[in-house]
Amino acid sequence: MSEPFYKPRFLRVFTGLVYLYLFIPIFIVIVFSFNSEKSLQVMQGFSFRWYSDFFNDPTLMDSLLTSVQIAVLTMVISTIVGTALAIGLVRAHSGTAKGFNILMLVPLITPEIVAGISALLIFSQLGITLSIWTIVIAHITFSISYVTIVVRGRLATIGTEVEDAAQDLGASKWESVRLVLVPSLWPAIVAAGLLVFALSFDDFVLSFFTTGEDAQPLPVRIWSMIRFGVSPTINAVGTLMMVVSISAVALAVLVPRLFGRRESGVKVLTGAEE
Amino acid sequence: MAEEAIRIENVTKRFGDFTAVDHVDLSIAQGEFFSLLGPSGCGKTTTLRMLAGFEVPTEGRILLEGDPVEDVPPHQRNVNMVFQSYALFEHLDVQGNVAFGLKRKKVPKDQIATRVAEALELVDLSSRAAARPNELSGGQRQRVALARALVNRPRVLLLDEPLGALDLKLRRQMQIELKAIQREVGITFVYVTHDQEEALSMSDRIAVMSDGRVAQCGPPEEIYEHPREEFVAGFIGVSNLLEGRVEPGGKVRIGEDCLPVPGLDGAGDGDTIQIAVRPEKVAVDEIGGDAYAIEPDMFTVEGEIESKVYLGVGNQLTLKLAGGSRLVALEQATYRMRADEQWEIGQKVKVGWHPEHCMLLG
Repeated sequence: MSEPFYKPRFLRVFTGLVYLYLFIPIFIVIVFSFNSEKSLQVMQGFSFRWYSDFFNDPTLMDSLLTSVQIAVLTMVISTIVGTALAIGLVRAHSGTAKGFNILMLVPLITPEIVAGISALLIFSQLGITLSIWTIVIAHITFSISYVTIVVRGRLATIGTEVEDAAQDLGASKWESVRLVLVPSLWPAIVAAGLLVFALSFDDFVLSFFTTGEDAQPLPVRIWSMIRFGVSPTINAVGTLMMVVSISAVALAVLVPRLFGRRESGVKVLTGAEE
Repeated sequence: MAEEAIRIENVTKRFGDFTAVDHVDLSIAQGEFFSLLGPSGCGKTTTLRMLAGFEVPTEGRILLEGDPVEDVPPHQRNVNMVFQSYALFEHLDVQGNVAFGLKRKKVPKDQIATRVAEALELVDLSSRAAARPNELSGGQRQRVALARALVNRPRVLLLDEPLGALDLKLRRQMQIELKAIQREVGITFVYVTHDQEEALSMSDRIAVMSDGRVAQCGPPEEIYEHPREEFVAGFIGVSNLLEGRVEPGGKVRIGEDCLPVPGLDGAGDGDTIQIAVRPEKVAVDEIGGDAYAIEPDMFTVEGEIESKVYLGVGNQLTLKLAGGSRLVALEQATYRMRADEQWEIGQKVKVGWHPEHCMLLG
């Protein structure tokens, strides 16, 4: 035992096993999405046939388009509302704001199935026909909280003097928000938006309860397909969805760097102080 | 006095039950370097923020060049502020930061370019015009903040502990530069600081604040040499506070000693009063040796050395006087000090000071 801190070998083995456990299912989906045959057990050769099946399936293409539409709408609306909420909560300095700060976390811990059922009940009570818009509304309810948390963390590090400085230099209150505060928050806003895009894009539970006569979003469509037997096309769809989600999150992490800042995107997303 | 730039009339600011600024009256002249000095929570920053327009006085009036401004919002006041955190706009480069105020005022583009270049020249930052704030050092950020405010040619520049975040050496250098810039531009500076040395070295006049009120206001020499109350004497420099009773003939009895104190006219015999002596005004000599420090017209008492701290530029001695009171003496290592002077703890010494260096505290 020459090292001052002896690291037992079994810990390394154990760590390795945990990671295998985490990644093997994903790895299998990716590998079999390139299988040349229909088998889900044996890899028989490399081909893009399941990808071309997917892109030539009009129902799946409609679903993909729907999912992207939902994710973009959710991203835009919840980013605007969530940012406004964050600014209000941080700058209000009132007791009520403190309460609302905690209340805002509730949508994040509400079981999604409960949120989904209550959304469905409300829509049917109000006689609203389920459509792509009902899905967007349901997605926004939880997305706002994510945006607010990320933007709020950034706001806390900026402080109030920057806004004071803008007003001192001749900017009205509104101009100080528009010309100084929002640009300072921009990396956090973009990062939060991309995160919300990823979350909305692969959401199943809420989408399942609130989907209507329009084309189903991709995750709901996949679920319907599986009921009629598992086709390797699902592996291809799954792999593509993963690529989209990972790209969005990776962008969210990289965005602050693209803005020429030294701090890491992880810090912006988690709101950690420097 | 030159023309008045700022008048603060009986201003009070309350936040709920807390009175941050308590009936303050101040008059600041055009072109003056005026400091608000005090410990944290004394109301100096709140006073400054009321001048900028970020806080509205609960009572009283504020006049900028004769016009009442209590109700004018910050963006319409002809004053600019340098913030403690600098509050630079991180999404804009140095030029963009400096040009911000001129753009809001719709100054023509070519004029903006000239004035921004001039301002950056003034603070010696022309070479970093295209840099982002996060690429600058602390001292450079401070200069950008200064240029960003000065470029607007405000009537008054407000500075909120602008050097607080810099290290000591840089701070000393910036103090000299700030003072030079102020002379060059001739703008009235209102400077908030808790650093008494900074205030003494830069200001034309200082207002010492405590618990929301102005304890004393005057030129640095006056504040230092003639503090009117214990708080001022203790906050500006180090003071030896002695309590004594007034005796007939302009003398004060402290323990067994009876010393002459000038300016006792107001006090009646038998009154208890406080006097203060600055440590650097106290001379110490060996008993029985030659007089090195004590001069013939000094008032002298006997004492004993209780402790000694070597400071490089001299010694700091704590002395116990025959009467029981304690005094701190700062003995400067000057040409007059004996080279082989070695004080011993417990050594009996002669302690003296000029009567006029005795400060009477109200």
